[in-house]
Amino acid sequence: MTALRQSFELGLSLCRTCGLAVSRASLVVDLRCPRCRSRIEHRTPFSAEMTLAWLIAGIVLYIPANLLPVMHTSGLLGDEDSTIVGGILEFWRSGDWGIALLIFTASVAVPFTKFIAIGLLIFTVRKNSRWEQHQRAVLYRIVEFIGYWSMLDVIVVALTSALMQFQVLGTAEPRPGIAFFCAVVIVTMLSALSFDPRLIWDRPA
Amino acid sequence: MGAAVNPILICRDCDTVYRGIPLRRGDVALCRRCDAVLARHFGANAETGLALVCAAAIFFAIANLTPILSIDIAGIETKANIWFAVRSLQQGWISVAALGLAITTFLVPAVQIALLFWVLLFARIGRRPPGFGPIMKLLHRMRPWSMTEVFLLGALVAIVKLANWVPITAGAGIWAIAALTAVLALLGRCDPASWWSIAPALKT
Repeated sequence: MTALRQSFELGLSLCRTCGLAVSRASLVVDLRCPRCRSRIEHRTPFSAEMTLAWLIAGIVLYIPANLLPVMHTSGLLGDEDSTIVGGILEFWRSGDWGIALLIFTASVAVPFTKFIAIGLLIFTVRKNSRWEQHQRAVLYRIVEFIGYWSMLDVIVVALTSALMQFQVLGTAEPRPGIAFFCAVVIVTMLSALSFDPRLIWDRPA
Repeated sequence: MGAAVNPILICRDCDTVYRGIPLRRGDVALCRRCDAVLARHFGANAETGLALVCAAAIFFAIANLTPILSIDIAGIETKANIWFAVRSLQQGWISVAALGLAITTFLVPAVQIALLFWVLLFARIGRRPPGFGPIMKLLHRMRPWSMTEVFLLGALVAIVKLANWVPITAGAGIWAIAALTAVLALLGRCDPASWWSIAPALKT
Protein backbone atom coordinates (compact mmCIF):
# COMPACT_ATOMS: atom_id res chain seq x y z
CA MET A 1 0.00 0.00 0.00
CA THR A 2 1.53 3.24 -1.08
CA ALA A 3 1.22 6.34 1.02
CA LEU A 4 -1.68 8.63 0.25
CA ARG A 5 -0.46 11.94 -1.07
CA GLN A 6 -2.18 15.25 -1.56
CA SER A 7 -2.09 17.09 -4.86
CA PHE A 8 0.22 19.81 -3.57
CA GLU A 9 3.05 17.34 -2.91
CA LEU A 10 2.84 16.15 -6.52
CA GLY A 11 2.68 19.59 -8.12
CA LEU A 12 -0.98 19.17 -9.12
CA SER A 13 -4.24 21.02 -8.59
CA LEU A 14 -7.80 19.86 -9.13
CA CYS A 15 -10.26 21.66 -11.36
CA ARG A 16 -13.40 21.41 -9.23
CA THR A 17 -15.68 22.11 -12.18
CA CYS A 18 -14.61 19.37 -14.56
CA GLY A 19 -12.44 17.12 -12.39
CA LEU A 20 -9.22 17.44 -14.39
CA ALA A 21 -5.88 17.10 -12.61
CA VAL A 22 -3.83 20.10 -13.73
CA SER A 23 -0.07 20.51 -13.36
CA ARG A 24 0.58 23.58 -11.26
CA ALA A 25 3.51 24.55 -13.45
CA SER A 26 1.05 25.27 -16.27
CA LEU A 27 -0.98 27.51 -13.96
CA VAL A 28 1.85 29.99 -13.59
CA VAL A 29 1.07 31.28 -17.07
CA ASP A 30 -2.67 30.79 -17.09
CA LEU A 31 -4.85 30.45 -13.97
CA ARG A 32 -7.57 28.66 -15.90
CA CYS A 33 -8.26 24.98 -16.47
CA PRO A 34 -6.93 23.95 -19.91
CA ARG A 35 -10.02 21.81 -20.48
CA CYS A 36 -13.02 23.83 -19.25
CA ARG A 37 -11.48 27.29 -18.72
CA SER A 38 -12.72 27.55 -15.11
CA ARG A 39 -10.51 29.42 -12.70
CA ILE A 40 -8.43 26.99 -10.64
CA GLU A 41 -7.75 27.68 -6.98
CA HIS A 42 -5.71 25.24 -4.97
CA ARG A 43 -8.13 25.96 -2.09
CA THR A 44 -11.36 27.96 -2.41
CA PRO A 45 -10.30 31.50 -1.41
CA PHE A 46 -11.82 32.79 1.86
CA SER A 47 -13.77 29.54 2.16
CA ALA A 48 -14.10 29.56 5.98
CA GLU A 49 -14.92 33.29 6.06
CA MET A 50 -17.60 33.05 3.35
CA THR A 51 -19.09 29.95 4.97
CA LEU A 52 -19.28 31.74 8.32
CA ALA A 53 -20.80 34.88 6.77
CA TRP A 54 -23.58 32.91 5.05
CA LEU A 55 -24.09 30.84 8.21
CA ILE A 56 -24.64 33.95 10.36
CA ALA A 57 -27.04 35.34 7.74
CA GLY A 58 -28.94 32.04 7.85
CA ILE A 59 -29.21 32.04 11.65
CA VAL A 60 -30.41 35.66 11.67
CA LEU A 61 -33.04 34.97 8.98
CA TYR A 62 -34.21 31.85 10.82
CA ILE A 63 -35.56 34.02 13.68
CA PRO A 64 -38.22 35.97 11.69
CA ALA A 65 -38.89 32.80 9.68
CA ASN A 66 -40.15 31.20 12.88
CA LEU A 67 -41.67 34.19 14.67
CA LEU A 68 -43.68 35.53 11.72
CA PRO A 69 -46.72 33.69 10.38
CA VAL A 70 -46.13 31.69 7.20
CA MET A 71 -49.77 31.36 6.19
CA HIS A 72 -53.12 33.00 6.77
CA THR A 73 -56.30 30.97 6.49
CA SER A 74 -59.83 32.25 6.60
CA GLY A 75 -63.13 30.49 6.26
CA LEU A 76 -66.16 29.25 8.14
CA LEU A 77 -64.05 28.51 11.21
CA GLY A 78 -62.69 32.05 11.36
CA ASP A 79 -59.40 33.73 10.47
CA GLU A 80 -56.08 32.33 11.58
CA ASP A 81 -52.36 33.02 11.15
CA SER A 82 -50.12 30.00 11.45
CA THR A 83 -46.39 29.75 12.04
CA ILE A 84 -44.13 26.84 11.09
CA VAL A 85 -44.07 25.38 14.59
CA GLY A 86 -47.82 26.07 14.94
CA GLY A 87 -48.46 24.06 11.79
CA ILE A 88 -46.40 21.14 13.11
CA LEU A 89 -48.31 21.16 16.43
CA GLU A 90 -51.62 21.20 14.55
CA PHE A 91 -50.68 18.06 12.61
CA TRP A 92 -49.50 16.45 15.84
CA ARG A 93 -52.74 17.20 17.68
CA SER A 94 -54.94 16.00 14.83
CA GLY A 95 -53.13 12.64 14.90
CA ASP A 96 -51.03 13.01 11.72
CA TRP A 97 -47.80 12.17 13.54
CA GLY A 98 -45.95 11.05 10.43
CA ILE A 99 -46.54 14.37 8.67
CA ALA A 100 -45.80 16.31 11.85
CA LEU A 101 -42.48 14.48 12.16
CA LEU A 102 -41.67 14.99 8.47
CA ILE A 103 -42.26 18.75 8.57
CA PHE A 104 -40.44 18.98 11.90
CA THR A 105 -37.46 17.25 10.32
CA ALA A 106 -37.42 19.43 7.21
CA SER A 107 -38.17 22.78 8.89
CA VAL A 108 -36.60 22.52 12.35
CA ALA A 109 -34.22 19.56 12.65
CA VAL A 110 -32.48 20.06 9.28
CA PRO A 111 -31.77 23.80 9.73
CA PHE A 112 -30.51 23.26 13.29
CA THR A 113 -28.34 20.34 12.20
CA LYS A 114 -26.89 22.56 9.48
CA PHE A 115 -26.20 25.46 11.86
CA ILE A 116 -24.42 23.22 14.36
CA ALA A 117 -22.59 21.07 11.80
CA ILE A 118 -21.32 23.99 9.69
CA GLY A 119 -20.35 25.90 12.84
CA LEU A 120 -18.39 22.87 14.05
CA LEU A 121 -16.69 22.45 10.66
CA ILE A 122 -15.59 26.09 10.52
CA PHE A 123 -14.38 26.04 14.15
CA THR A 124 -12.28 22.89 13.74
CA VAL A 125 -10.88 24.02 10.38
CA ARG A 126 -9.82 27.38 11.79
CA LYS A 127 -8.00 25.57 14.60
CA ASN A 128 -6.30 23.22 12.09
CA SER A 129 -7.71 20.38 14.14
CA ARG A 130 -6.77 16.74 13.34
CA TRP A 131 -9.75 15.52 15.38
CA GLU A 132 -12.02 12.91 13.72
CA GLN A 133 -11.17 14.01 10.18
CA HIS A 134 -13.05 11.14 8.57
CA GLN A 135 -16.18 11.77 10.65
CA ARG A 136 -16.08 15.45 9.77
CA ALA A 137 -15.77 14.61 6.06
CA VAL A 138 -18.91 12.46 6.40
CA LEU A 139 -20.63 15.27 8.34
CA TYR A 140 -19.95 17.67 5.48
CA ARG A 141 -21.48 15.28 2.95
CA ILE A 142 -24.57 14.88 5.17
CA VAL A 143 -24.95 18.68 5.35
CA GLU A 144 -24.67 18.91 1.56
CA PHE A 145 -27.28 16.20 1.08
CA ILE A 146 -29.96 17.35 3.55
CA GLY A 147 -29.77 21.06 2.73
CA TYR A 148 -32.43 21.54 0.11
CA TRP A 149 -35.12 19.38 1.74
CA SER A 150 -35.96 22.36 3.97
CA MET A 151 -37.70 23.88 0.93
CA LEU A 152 -40.56 21.49 1.76
CA ASP A 153 -42.59 23.96 3.84
CA VAL A 154 -42.31 26.68 1.19
CA ILE A 155 -43.77 24.26 -1.37
CA VAL A 156 -46.55 23.09 0.96
CA VAL A 157 -47.60 26.69 1.72
CA ALA A 158 -47.48 27.60 -1.98
CA LEU A 159 -49.60 24.59 -3.02
CA THR A 160 -52.09 25.12 -0.19
CA SER A 161 -52.48 28.81 -1.12
CA ALA A 162 -52.95 27.89 -4.78
CA LEU A 163 -55.63 25.31 -3.96
CA MET A 164 -57.58 26.94 -1.13
CA GLN A 165 -59.35 29.64 -3.10
CA PHE A 166 -62.98 29.11 -2.15
CA GLN A 167 -64.54 32.43 -1.23
CA VAL A 168 -67.11 31.03 1.20
CA LEU A 169 -65.56 27.81 2.46
CA GLY A 170 -62.04 28.99 2.90
CA THR A 171 -58.98 30.68 1.48
CA ALA A 172 -55.29 30.43 2.28
CA GLU A 173 -52.65 33.07 1.64
CA PRO A 174 -48.89 33.16 2.15
CA ARG A 175 -47.46 35.42 4.85
CA PRO A 176 -43.94 37.01 5.17
CA GLY A 177 -42.52 34.19 7.36
CA ILE A 178 -42.39 31.93 4.31
CA ALA A 179 -40.20 34.40 2.39
CA PHE A 180 -37.74 34.45 5.31
CA PHE A 181 -37.82 30.68 5.44
CA CYS A 182 -37.09 30.42 1.71
CA ALA A 183 -34.16 32.80 2.27
CA VAL A 184 -32.87 30.59 5.12
CA VAL A 185 -32.79 27.57 2.80
CA ILE A 186 -30.95 29.43 0.04
CA VAL A 187 -28.49 31.16 2.36
CA THR A 188 -27.59 27.98 4.29
CA MET A 189 -27.11 26.16 0.98
CA LEU A 190 -24.72 28.92 -0.10
CA SER A 191 -22.94 28.48 3.24
CA ALA A 192 -22.46 24.73 2.68
CA LEU A 193 -21.38 25.31 -0.94
CA SER A 194 -18.80 27.90 0.16
CA PHE A 195 -17.09 25.39 2.44
CA ASP A 196 -14.05 23.70 0.95
CA PRO A 197 -13.99 20.20 2.54
CA ARG A 198 -10.30 19.81 1.70
CA LEU A 199 -9.55 22.20 4.57
CA ILE A 200 -10.50 19.37 6.96
CA TRP A 201 -7.44 17.43 5.81
CA ASP A 202 -4.91 20.23 5.50
CA ARG A 203 -2.08 20.40 8.00
CA PRO A 204 -0.79 23.69 9.36
CA ALA A 205 2.00 24.99 7.18
CA MET B 1 -13.08 4.78 -28.18
CA GLY B 2 -13.67 2.37 -25.29
CA ALA B 3 -13.91 3.11 -21.60
CA ALA B 4 -12.12 6.39 -21.14
CA VAL B 5 -9.85 6.21 -18.12
CA ASN B 6 -8.97 9.41 -16.40
CA PRO B 7 -5.19 8.88 -15.85
CA ILE B 8 -5.06 10.90 -12.63
CA LEU B 9 -7.89 11.26 -10.15
CA ILE B 10 -7.89 13.79 -7.34
CA CYS B 11 -10.40 13.47 -4.51
CA ARG B 12 -12.72 16.50 -4.43
CA ASP B 13 -13.16 16.25 -0.68
CA CYS B 14 -9.63 15.62 0.63
CA ASP B 15 -7.26 16.29 -2.29
CA THR B 16 -5.68 12.81 -2.32
CA VAL B 17 -4.15 11.83 -5.67
CA TYR B 18 -4.82 8.45 -7.33
CA ARG B 19 -3.91 6.71 -10.55
CA GLY B 20 -7.12 5.86 -12.38
CA ILE B 21 -7.94 2.26 -13.33
CA PRO B 22 -10.57 1.02 -15.80
CA LEU B 23 -13.93 0.53 -14.09
CA ARG B 24 -16.37 -2.21 -14.98
CA ARG B 25 -20.14 -1.87 -15.07
CA GLY B 26 -21.51 -0.93 -11.64
CA ASP B 27 -18.07 -0.08 -10.24
CA VAL B 28 -17.62 2.94 -8.02
CA ALA B 29 -14.15 4.15 -7.05
CA LEU B 30 -14.01 5.48 -3.49
CA CYS B 31 -11.33 7.56 -1.84
CA ARG B 32 -9.24 5.48 0.60
CA ARG B 33 -8.88 8.38 2.97
CA CYS B 34 -12.33 9.98 3.12
CA ASP B 35 -14.66 7.55 1.25
CA ALA B 36 -15.83 10.21 -1.22
CA VAL B 37 -16.82 8.96 -4.68
CA LEU B 38 -13.83 9.44 -7.02
CA ALA B 39 -15.39 8.02 -10.17
CA ARG B 40 -18.22 5.82 -11.33
CA HIS B 41 -18.36 3.49 -14.27
CA PHE B 42 -19.73 5.66 -17.04
CA GLY B 43 -22.68 3.50 -18.06
CA ALA B 44 -24.51 5.99 -20.24
CA ASN B 45 -23.50 6.64 -23.80
CA ALA B 46 -24.94 9.38 -25.96
CA GLU B 47 -27.90 7.21 -27.02
CA THR B 48 -29.12 6.21 -23.58
CA GLY B 49 -28.42 9.71 -22.32
CA LEU B 50 -30.46 11.22 -25.14
CA ALA B 51 -33.32 8.78 -24.49
CA LEU B 52 -33.36 9.74 -20.82
CA VAL B 53 -33.32 13.46 -21.62
CA CYS B 54 -36.24 13.07 -24.05
CA ALA B 55 -38.17 11.19 -21.37
CA ALA B 56 -37.37 13.96 -18.89
CA ALA B 57 -38.61 16.62 -21.33
CA ILE B 58 -41.90 14.77 -21.84
CA PHE B 59 -42.45 14.26 -18.09
CA PHE B 60 -41.58 17.91 -17.46
CA ALA B 61 -44.14 19.02 -20.05
CA ILE B 62 -46.87 16.77 -18.58
CA ALA B 63 -46.07 17.97 -15.05
CA ASN B 64 -46.53 21.57 -16.14
CA LEU B 65 -49.53 21.16 -18.43
CA THR B 66 -51.74 18.95 -16.28
CA PRO B 67 -52.87 19.61 -12.69
CA ILE B 68 -50.76 18.00 -9.99
CA LEU B 69 -53.48 18.45 -7.39
CA SER B 70 -57.08 19.57 -7.64
CA ILE B 71 -60.02 20.21 -5.31
CA ASP B 72 -63.65 20.09 -6.37
CA ILE B 73 -66.31 21.46 -4.03
CA ALA B 74 -69.86 21.66 -5.37
CA GLY B 75 -68.73 22.29 -8.92
CA ILE B 76 -66.11 24.88 -8.03
CA GLU B 77 -62.71 23.47 -8.92
CA THR B 78 -59.23 24.70 -8.05
CA LYS B 79 -56.08 23.23 -9.55
CA ALA B 80 -52.39 23.46 -8.73
CA ASN B 81 -49.14 22.64 -10.44
CA ILE B 82 -45.61 24.09 -10.18
CA TRP B 83 -46.52 27.32 -11.91
CA PHE B 84 -49.74 27.85 -9.90
CA ALA B 85 -47.72 27.33 -6.71
CA VAL B 86 -45.23 29.98 -7.80
CA ARG B 87 -48.03 32.39 -8.72
CA SER B 88 -49.71 31.99 -5.33
CA LEU B 89 -46.55 33.31 -3.64
CA GLN B 90 -46.54 36.47 -5.75
CA GLN B 91 -47.77 38.92 -3.15
CA GLY B 92 -45.84 42.09 -2.41
CA TRP B 93 -42.33 41.35 -1.27
CA ILE B 94 -43.20 37.72 -0.45
CA SER B 95 -42.53 37.40 -4.19
CA VAL B 96 -38.87 36.71 -3.34
CA ALA B 97 -40.11 33.28 -2.21
CA ALA B 98 -41.96 32.95 -5.53
CA LEU B 99 -38.69 33.70 -7.29
CA GLY B 100 -36.82 31.11 -5.21
CA LEU B 101 -39.48 28.50 -5.92
CA ALA B 102 -39.62 29.33 -9.65
CA ILE B 103 -35.84 29.02 -10.00
CA THR B 104 -35.46 25.76 -8.08
CA THR B 105 -38.49 23.82 -9.31
CA PHE B 106 -39.07 25.26 -12.80
CA LEU B 107 -36.17 27.19 -14.29
CA VAL B 108 -33.24 24.99 -13.18
CA PRO B 109 -34.84 21.65 -14.22
CA ALA B 110 -35.97 23.18 -17.54
CA VAL B 111 -32.51 24.57 -18.35
CA GLN B 112 -30.82 21.31 -17.25
CA ILE B 113 -33.01 19.30 -19.62
CA ALA B 114 -32.50 21.75 -22.51
CA LEU B 115 -28.71 21.92 -22.11
CA LEU B 116 -28.29 18.16 -21.72
CA PHE B 117 -30.42 17.66 -24.83
CA TRP B 118 -28.19 20.06 -26.78
CA VAL B 119 -24.97 18.40 -25.60
CA LEU B 120 -26.15 14.83 -26.15
CA LEU B 121 -27.68 15.57 -29.54
CA PHE B 122 -24.25 16.63 -30.78
CA ALA B 123 -22.50 13.78 -28.95
CA ARG B 124 -24.84 11.36 -30.76
CA ILE B 125 -23.46 12.48 -34.13
CA GLY B 126 -19.91 12.54 -32.76
CA ARG B 127 -19.47 16.28 -32.68
CA ARG B 128 -18.57 18.66 -29.93
CA PRO B 129 -21.49 21.08 -29.45
CA PRO B 130 -20.99 24.85 -29.68
CA GLY B 131 -20.50 26.27 -26.21
CA PHE B 132 -19.58 22.88 -24.70
CA GLY B 133 -17.26 24.34 -22.03
CA PRO B 134 -19.61 27.04 -20.67
CA ILE B 135 -22.58 24.63 -20.86
CA MET B 136 -20.78 21.99 -18.77
CA LYS B 137 -19.75 24.65 -16.28
CA LEU B 138 -23.33 25.89 -16.00
CA LEU B 139 -24.67 22.34 -15.55
CA HIS B 140 -22.13 21.80 -12.78
CA ARG B 141 -23.15 25.01 -11.01
CA MET B 142 -26.88 24.28 -11.28
CA ARG B 143 -26.74 20.75 -9.91
CA PRO B 144 -27.36 21.60 -6.20
CA TRP B 145 -30.31 23.87 -7.06
CA SER B 146 -32.63 21.41 -8.76
CA MET B 147 -35.48 20.61 -6.32
CA THR B 148 -37.95 18.47 -8.27
CA GLU B 149 -37.88 15.71 -5.64
CA VAL B 150 -38.65 18.19 -2.85
CA PHE B 151 -41.66 19.42 -4.86
CA LEU B 152 -42.92 15.83 -5.11
CA LEU B 153 -42.69 15.39 -1.34
CA GLY B 154 -44.35 18.80 -0.84
CA ALA B 155 -47.28 17.77 -3.06
CA LEU B 156 -47.72 14.55 -1.05
CA VAL B 157 -47.67 16.50 2.22
CA ALA B 158 -50.24 18.96 0.81
CA ILE B 159 -52.55 16.04 -0.05
CA VAL B 160 -52.42 14.67 3.50
CA LYS B 161 -52.75 18.14 4.98
CA LEU B 162 -55.85 19.10 2.99
CA ALA B 163 -57.51 15.68 2.76
CA ASN B 164 -58.95 16.14 6.27
CA TRP B 165 -60.94 19.17 5.12
CA VAL B 166 -61.66 18.99 1.42
CA PRO B 167 -61.99 16.38 -1.34
CA ILE B 168 -58.52 16.59 -2.92
CA THR B 169 -57.36 14.47 -5.83
CA ALA B 170 -53.97 13.95 -7.44
CA GLY B 171 -53.82 14.52 -11.19
CA ALA B 172 -51.59 13.11 -13.91
CA GLY B 173 -49.02 15.74 -13.02
CA ILE B 174 -48.01 14.04 -9.80
CA TRP B 175 -47.02 10.84 -11.65
CA ALA B 176 -45.10 12.96 -14.14
CA ILE B 177 -43.25 14.69 -11.29
CA ALA B 178 -42.41 11.29 -9.77
CA ALA B 179 -41.11 9.98 -13.11
CA LEU B 180 -39.18 13.21 -13.73
CA THR B 181 -37.52 12.87 -10.32
CA ALA B 182 -36.38 9.35 -11.19
CA VAL B 183 -35.05 10.29 -14.64
CA LEU B 184 -33.22 13.39 -13.39
CA ALA B 185 -31.65 11.27 -10.64
CA LEU B 186 -30.38 8.81 -13.26
CA LEU B 187 -28.93 11.65 -15.36
CA GLY B 188 -27.47 13.24 -12.24
CA ARG B 189 -25.42 10.12 -11.53
CA CYS B 190 -23.48 10.77 -14.71
CA ASP B 191 -21.19 13.30 -13.08
CA PRO B 192 -19.71 16.19 -15.10
CA ALA B 193 -16.22 14.71 -14.91
CA SER B 194 -17.47 11.70 -16.85
CA TRP B 195 -19.18 13.82 -19.48
CA TRP B 196 -15.90 15.62 -19.96
CA SER B 197 -14.10 12.33 -20.55
CA ILE B 198 -16.14 11.79 -23.74
CA ALA B 199 -15.26 15.27 -25.01
CA PRO B 200 -11.86 14.54 -26.64
CA ALA B 201 -13.50 11.92 -28.85
CA LEU B 202 -15.82 14.53 -30.28
CA LYS B 203 -14.81 16.53 -33.31
CA THR B 204 -14.99 20.26 -32.90
